[in-house]
Amino acid sequence: MINLKSIQHYLLLILFGVSLSLGHVAQPQAAEVGRTLVAADLKQQPFIDAATVTNLPVNTELEVLKRQGGWMQVKSGAGEGWLKMTAVKLGTAAASQEKSGNGLSTLVNLATTGRSGSSGVTVTTGVRGLGQEDLKNAQPNPEAVKKMESFAAARNETAAFASSAKLQSQTVEYLSAPAATSASTGVGSAGNFGRGN
Amino acid sequence: MLQRTVLALALMLGVTAAHAFGLDLEKLTNIISKTQDLKPVETQSEVDIGKGVAANLLGAAPLVKDEKLQAYVNRLGWWLVQHTERTDLVWHFGVLDTDSLNAFAAPGGYVFITRGLLLNMRNEAELAGVLAHEIAHVLQRHHLAAIQKNAQTGIIADLASMAVESSQYGAVADKAISASTELYARGLDKSDEYEADRMGVVIAARAGYDPYGLLAVLQTLDGMNSQDAGLALMFKTHPTPQSRLQLLDTVMSSKLDQLNQQKQVADRFVKVVGTYAGK
Repeated sequence: MINLKSIQHYLLLILFGVSLSLGHVAQPQAAEVGRTLVAADLKQQPFIDAATVTNLPVNTELEVLKRQGGWMQVKSGAGEGWLKMTAVKLGTAAASQEKSGNGLSTLVNLATTGRSGSSGVTVTTGVRGLGQEDLKNAQPNPEAVKKMESFAAARNETAAFASSAKLQSQTVEYLSAPAATSASTGVGSAGNFGRGN
Repeated sequence: MLQRTVLALALMLGVTAAHAFGLDLEKLTNIISKTQDLKPVETQSEVDIGKGVAANLLGAAPLVKDEKLQAYVNRLGWWLVQHTERTDLVWHFGVLDTDSLNAFAAPGGYVFITRGLLLNMRNEAELAGVLAHEIAHVLQRHHLAAIQKNAQTGIIADLASMAVESSQYGAVADKAISASTELYARGLDKSDEYEADRMGVVIAARAGYDPYGLLAVLQTLDGMNSQDAGLALMFKTHPTPQSRLQLLDTVMSSKLDQLNQQKQVADRFVKVVGTYAGK
């Protein structure tokens, strides 16, 4: 006799298989979605002075294809092109209101399967949170510190680590704080999206 | 004249504190005058405080039991550190086994990231951005400065003299550790967070990464439901992701545009973190 649980298992296996095979066939075509936060020029190239494909009004739904520096390659109903990343809000309007009951879906999942977190295989097994109360009530764990200190051998492996990913050191000066409005006044708090393109 | 009044007032307030902590008045005077100067803390004291804070954080959330993952994060952390002004510290990086999204730094070079945040990243440049932000808190001694400045917490710890006065060392260190741990529940000044953001993107850029990795993480956080329990502590203790993004964009756009082509390193990140996640 087939019980409900085994059917569920079977369905899960199918879903898992489908998502994995999709991930294989389709190149990791990001299925991340978002919308424009402000009206913004869609550019042909990721440069501020590149030709404009079209102007996207605020709240235009789009799919994120790729990121490069401060730019995002997106696909919208009006065409493909590049937007400044700060002109984009990720997620759907509905998703950002949704209360996810058992942990946030993960992007690693997206990267490994090429599917969006909400429909892919969720690796989160349950919520083990770290909140204010946990910090206040914590009993010190010096053994864990010793364990953490045992990882320090990594300091001798930085050259190999960098070269295997072809990372090259650059000379870059630290950035100074923006002059006029001091950071502590909370410039650009939520809802203040004054900077368009 | 004014200084004297301030000192007298501080002493009056201090008496209560001194009583509570069982310190004598002469020592207290000494402590207050030194704390007002915000003298630099000895590196050894800083490391001792950091070790205590790390023990508390690890008491709240354990380390992920995955040596490969921890080694990976430590290699990346050390590579970033090579591009900073505090290569003398012995840095330690750890992934905390909690689904909450957060990252922490403790004085002396202890840096933590939660598995919840790690699993919501796309590539190594994003991880580099977050670790570099935390490294910047240590470089700037933000937590130490906050507990030194924050007189009303009763922290009269004379951090500057800790190294020389061994009899009081343990007690003073304990108070500094508990005050510092409390900071993780309350948060640093917004200006400290913004500064760590500005420094973090530069450190990541120096190490060869796409400097916009940190912004990509902030954007991910911005797209999530702010009511989610996993975001509660971070959202309470940091400025909104949107305000951090806007401020970073303002200072970066002209200065770091030429680094637009730097590496994101998605393959190695997905291999290591994906292997861990798939277990």
